[in-house]
Amino acid sequence: MRRTGLLAFALVLVALVAAGVLPERAPAQGAKPYAGTTIRAVVNAEYVKYSLSLVEKELFDKHGIKIETEVIPLDAFVAKTLLEFNSGKSPWDLVMFGPSNMPDYGRHFEPLDPFIQKMKLEFYMDDIPDVYKKLMLRHQGKIVSMPYDGDIHIMFWNKTAFERPDNKKKFKAKYGYDLAPPKTWRQWDEMAEFFHGWGWDGSDQKLFGAGASYKPSGSGFSYHWWRARFFSYGGMYFDANMKALINSPAAVRALDEMVRTMPYYPPGVLLFESEEPKTMLIKGEVPMLYSWTSTGKRVGDKGESVIVGKAGFGIVPGAEIDGKIVHRPSLTPGRSMAVSIYSQKKEATMKVLEFISSPEQSLKIVMDPKTIMDPWRVSHFRADAFKKSFPDADKYLKAIEDSFPHVVPDPVIPAANEYQRKLSFEITEALARRKSPKEALDSAAAEWEKITDRRGRDKQKAQWGERLHEMKQVGIEHHPEWAAKAK
Amino acid sequence: MRMPTLALKRKQWEPLAFASPSLFLIAVVIVFPLAYAFYLSLRDYDLSVGPGHEFVGLRNYTEALFGDRRFVESVWNTVVIILPSLIAELLLGLGLALLLNRVIKGRPIITALLAIPAMVSPVMAAMAWRMLFGVKYGAINNLGRQTGLLDVYFDWFSTPFLSIVTIVLVEVWHNTPFMMLVLLAGLQSIPQELYESARVDGASAWQTFWSITLPLLKFTMAVGIMIRMIDLTKLFGLIFVLTYGGPGGATETVAFTTYLVGFNDFRMSYASALAYLIVGGVLVLTLVFMWIQRYREARAA
Amino acid sequence: MAIALEQTRTASRRRISRHRVGRVVGHVLTYLGIGVALVFFLGPFFWIVTTSLKANNDYFAFPPVWIPDQPSLAHYVRLFTNSSGFRYFSNSLVISTLSMAAAIIVSLPTAYAIARWRFGGGVLSTVLLVLRMLPAIALIIPLYIMYKALGLTNSYLGLVIAYTVLYIPFAVWLLVGFLRDFPIEIEEAAMIDGCSRLGSLVRVVVPIIAPGLAVVALFAFIATWNEFLFAVVLTGIETKTMMVLVTSFTSGGTDMFYGEASASVVLGVLPAFAVAFALQRYLVKGLALGGTKG
Repeated sequence: MRRTGLLAFALVLVALVAAGVLPERAPAQGAKPYAGTTIRAVVNAEYVKYSLSLVEKELFDKHGIKIETEVIPLDAFVAKTLLEFNSGKSPWDLVMFGPSNMPDYGRHFEPLDPFIQKMKLEFYMDDIPDVYKKLMLRHQGKIVSMPYDGDIHIMFWNKTAFERPDNKKKFKAKYGYDLAPPKTWRQWDEMAEFFHGWGWDGSDQKLFGAGASYKPSGSGFSYHWWRARFFSYGGMYFDANMKALINSPAAVRALDEMVRTMPYYPPGVLLFESEEPKTMLIKGEVPMLYSWTSTGKRVGDKGESVIVGKAGFGIVPGAEIDGKIVHRPSLTPGRSMAVSIYSQKKEATMKVLEFISSPEQSLKIVMDPKTIMDPWRVSHFRADAFKKSFPDADKYLKAIEDSFPHVVPDPVIPAANEYQRKLSFEITEALARRKSPKEALDSAAAEWEKITDRRGRDKQKAQWGERLHEMKQVGIEHHPEWAAKAK
Repeated sequence: MRMPTLALKRKQWEPLAFASPSLFLIAVVIVFPLAYAFYLSLRDYDLSVGPGHEFVGLRNYTEALFGDRRFVESVWNTVVIILPSLIAELLLGLGLALLLNRVIKGRPIITALLAIPAMVSPVMAAMAWRMLFGVKYGAINNLGRQTGLLDVYFDWFSTPFLSIVTIVLVEVWHNTPFMMLVLLAGLQSIPQELYESARVDGASAWQTFWSITLPLLKFTMAVGIMIRMIDLTKLFGLIFVLTYGGPGGATETVAFTTYLVGFNDFRMSYASALAYLIVGGVLVLTLVFMWIQRYREARAA
Repeated sequence: MAIALEQTRTASRRRISRHRVGRVVGHVLTYLGIGVALVFFLGPFFWIVTTSLKANNDYFAFPPVWIPDQPSLAHYVRLFTNSSGFRYFSNSLVISTLSMAAAIIVSLPTAYAIARWRFGGGVLSTVLLVLRMLPAIALIIPLYIMYKALGLTNSYLGLVIAYTVLYIPFAVWLLVGFLRDFPIEIEEAAMIDGCSRLGSLVRVVVPIIAPGLAVVALFAFIATWNEFLFAVVLTGIETKTMMVLVTSFTSGGTDMFYGEASASVVLGVLPAFAVAFALQRYLVKGLALGGTKG
């Protein structure tokens, strides 16, 4: 009896000692220094949260770090996050943001270099194309963020619509030139008119002429669609004196064309955000769409798309000026990730940033059609896996790279979000026929002047001066005479 | 109800003590913030620019009334939504109250069932109807297509006009039960003898309605309309979920526009001014309404 | 003479049968009208509930599938796990319960002061009307600034305080009504026995007007459960309520998250259904006078 008691006691003692000892021998030194940490991320849409979930497991296995992601809807995102930062704190460690808003966000982000030195992090900076490097990394010279989603607009079309002999005959008869993916805006508008209201896929369904997203928003939908025309007609956001040029003849012409062609778009287009027109494209309901590059992944997704292998990819239409076609696709640099300076877990968050930005992990994210994230690394564009992931994926990747020399960024100055929001709102007002294009753009220009005054005209002028210079270096300038002579 | 005449003397401080917790809370959480908001409306506090602010007098108010097309349009939108909603709610509510008044069996349960839409949040009502109006898979369009009444692709929110119609429809669905209950209470307070004597006199249903029911309901209807009108000026949650002000700014109500100014632009002072303009507007509306009531009563006398 | 009598009798019989037919038609029309009303007012809920139980191929099918033949709770499970539905449902529950309790605790003594001692004269109804006219947007702007400074955003306490105070006027008003009907002799008896005022309130009055308290409590619960503007401005990731959760399913059209959207609507309207059935008799009084609007 006493012996069993003693034995039991010894066993308990051993168990206690083992329990006391084991945790200390748990992975401590070197292997996973941040194990057990949870960092908080903030993003602006459910699919961004989903994209993070793709790499969460490997992150946890490799580093023992968990991510807790909060979603703040798009419309309130910039305002809410900036409010927190401006009051000197933030509940988040990892912050997703729109790089066009870097002037407003940049000072709240932790520069990467000291951490790269200290922790020997590797971000493969050379593996980023110039187009994104210029826009998505730096604030006042220092690198404070890594790209997460490289957004530009390219054109997608339904090959069936353009290659059916019947369609070709009808088009040539009516418009006098060959049916082919549009290269100019005039061609786009004529083809939208042509395709609208009948079964250009050979069925007897009533299909639509073209797709677009005309909802107003801060990272603007209608505004992005409009400015592809606006810039190809020689437009510019402000002149060198910070006067808003968004009601210039180029602007009015662009908006006028959009209002006139409204009937050729699906009825709900004024409320479309990014995904609705893409869905219509891949379901064969619209023959052409220019939109974010993430469309391509959905086009090739066999589960959803009926145009797998039957789609074309190219550069957004432009304007014919003096015999040459000027393309100005929108660069709407989707998303970057940064570490907040108010974070209590900066090192762990840096580690996470390194992980999700690594070529392998980021490739996973940009290849998945449900994440809506777009390729941003050179290696993404060269990856065999990506090129073979769906039919013509290589042509899709090439179209993106072909567009790089022509892309136009947002006005990357303080209050960028507000400028875009107010302009986008007025554009949609005109599209909804609540105002004439001139009235709408005049209102927008007046709003822009108000914003400039509120933020300090001189400050804005200085920042804008730098942007103007950068754009000039890649050949994007204000050409007031183009609006009249563009064909 | 007689005043308490207790043998025990009432302590002077007791009423105040009893009421003080709520008085204190109301002072701190309602009165003070309202005063602060008025103070702010005379300054230029703009969180997107910085933490400081200066006195600017009535500039915010003049800008809102004479320089802010979006705000003025939102006032118009609010009116455009209020008028048809009020009329529909009154007529429908009256009809339902009359029907319900004739039901004897199961009235409590039917009343409870019909009251439910008015007891759910406007946000929930809007979400439910937003799904119902879904273009491809919503119940309404599905039904329409099944019965051949609707075209393949009818979007209930595609134009400003349709969006307003849809909002009014959801509003009416949401709040007619309220009006119905108010009018039912009114109907039940009409003495039965009046109906008896009318029947004896050989009056038809119509005559009874026009000469007995309606006049005696006038006061109840006025109360109902006034309450609903005031509530409709606050329309926010429904808009937020159903259209978010779109297409463009076609369905932005005053409360919604003020919200955007305050919590998307973070221009707190300007938003406070807008809010006080709304309060002023509601006050004017209420006074006008009460004056009209008094005028009609004086004329009837 | 006999023929004339016979004629009058036939005529009156015809009049009677016309009346009977009229009455039957009246009944049929009445119940038909009620039936149509029930379909119109409750139909949407029916569709939302069935949609929340549908599988993908049911929802996206045409001809439309109205009732799924294999209903499943998968959407609710996903709402509770992926979309943190459980946490937000509990938030709403906790916040509404606390606000309801706090409102009653603070309002009852005030109502007592008014009912027994005519505290404040006839100010109460004026206050009520004024507060009814006040749009929440006027209050939320300064309150947001104050809360931010005090660190009360994204906290239960902040929202509970705001909700409690917003509901005090209604609670007081309803309770004054209940208290006025309360016979004062019972109180007097208790106080002669040595009870203090407060004691008599708590130990004698409360148990007897408990049903009335329950009515006010339930209406307060619903009003705070349904509240949206304050919730959307003052809550954060931890404290979001069901009302705010539902708005995260509106982007990109309602088709992408139809399951979570419909499930969250079902959960969001549960209290309304429960309270409607529980308080059938009080609906006219409470609802008609605005007791369920925050």
